[in-house]
Amino acid sequence: MSDSPQDIGELEATLGSYLADKLEATGPVNIEGIERIAVGWSHETWLFDAAWSDEDGPRARGFCLRRDPGNALLRDTSDLGEQFRVLQCLEATEVPAPRVYWYEPDPSVLGASALVMEKVAGECPSPWRRAGREYYAAAADRGVLPLSFTDALASIHNVDWHAVGLDFLGVPELGTDFARREIAKWKAFALDSGHPGHPIFADLVGWLESNAPATDRLTLVHGAFRTGNVLIDDDRVSAVLDWELQVIGDPMYDVAYMLTELNRTGTDLLSNVVPRELFFERYESATGITIDTDRCRYYQLLYAMRSAAFWMSAAGLYADGANNDLRLARTEWSVTVALEQAAAELGY
Amino acid sequence: MNPSELLTRLSQTLRTDIAPAVGEEYPRTQAFMASVILERLAKHVALADAHGRAEADDLDVLTSDLRPLLRDAPLAVTETLDTVVGIDSLGPVIEALYRWKAAGREGSAMDGTEIADQALAMIRPALRRDIDRRMEIAT
Repeated sequence: MSDSPQDIGELEATLGSYLADKLEATGPVNIEGIERIAVGWSHETWLFDAAWSDEDGPRARGFCLRRDPGNALLRDTSDLGEQFRVLQCLEATEVPAPRVYWYEPDPSVLGASALVMEKVAGECPSPWRRAGREYYAAAADRGVLPLSFTDALASIHNVDWHAVGLDFLGVPELGTDFARREIAKWKAFALDSGHPGHPIFADLVGWLESNAPATDRLTLVHGAFRTGNVLIDDDRVSAVLDWELQVIGDPMYDVAYMLTELNRTGTDLLSNVVPRELFFERYESATGITIDTDRCRYYQLLYAMRSAAFWMSAAGLYADGANNDLRLARTEWSVTVALEQAAAELGY
Repeated sequence: MNPSELLTRLSQTLRTDIAPAVGEEYPRTQAFMASVILERLAKHVALADAHGRAEADDLDVLTSDLRPLLRDAPLAVTETLDTVVGIDSLGPVIEALYRWKAAGREGSAMDGTEIADQALAMIRPALRRDIDRRMEIAT
């Protein structure tokens, strides 16, 4: 849907009616301050405040609505139902994550399949913009956020995933199974895109399959842990967001994402905010896991493959008419950039 | 004005005249994005002939080097070589070479690791030149 006043008015009315039932309100639920964030390729995200009365008196609470527009990137790798289950499982853990309230798979209820969750306090500056990078540099100087950011990743890797019921994500065998599963997943993703691909992608896949590293410990893996995917409140991570790529797998997969140069611009700070030495010391101390830089280098190539597959899928969404956003059309050339980086990593 | 120049001109008009005049954020972003895409297409059109000739030269040299090297390779490898019509159709050859290597490691076929590695080493410089050409358009 668009952000036009008429559409927003309809959404407010739909949400008011929906929440009146869910919250057992004794009168109407007033929806205020509704705004759409993350306008683009992923699930729609709306923030709003609700005020209502129930048997105990007047109440107010902030909510976040995520809806599946039907043509979002990654919707086939992690639908809202899976995100809802993951966030439910995380409620009993140390991971800072939004509390989820309801999941509605029926698109007739909220206009699309949707989940409703807590509106968490905090901000999420983009690390790709100068203002964002300045924000993270200043936070790094103050010293609190680098620790909190590292602790948030450690808390994910410390989750007893079996105990909290995350087995449904799929559990690889110890050894090379995790890497092989990821390769197969992103290879299928690229094939499904209908993009013609490029032989460098074939070379990258062949190399990754031939050199898959063995994993001796499985943890919950976020899959995209970086600044821009966490909310920050008072220099602390208030919520880890973007639960779309999580798997049970090798924790070095997330660590590699921290270490990669792709997630920082013009700074040596990991993910624009954490000094490397501090990260190694704090992460290893908090998790008891020794960082294996060789495995991280391998996973950085796997990320190159994932990036290429992601851009192939994005370009495919425009090419096949599923989405008219011209930013998707431009990603045709992002495939080239990702493959050029992959070729360089492969040594040519 | 040739097609490349026309596309460049259209891109400039979108960027400097049309997009800034659009009030709403989303359509304004789309107009700027259209400008970027037209700029890329202008480069593509301008470089198409030169890139096409360079690719054909690369392919001629590569296939004439690969054929004798892979003369005794399994049929599954040599068949893919027969289907190559451009650099971008080398994917099946590369996949077949990796499968040959993997089969050799598993002891289920003649160990082609050395020859497959030589073939991949021949292919990669051509891939590098191809991606460099594409990068002239992409950036």
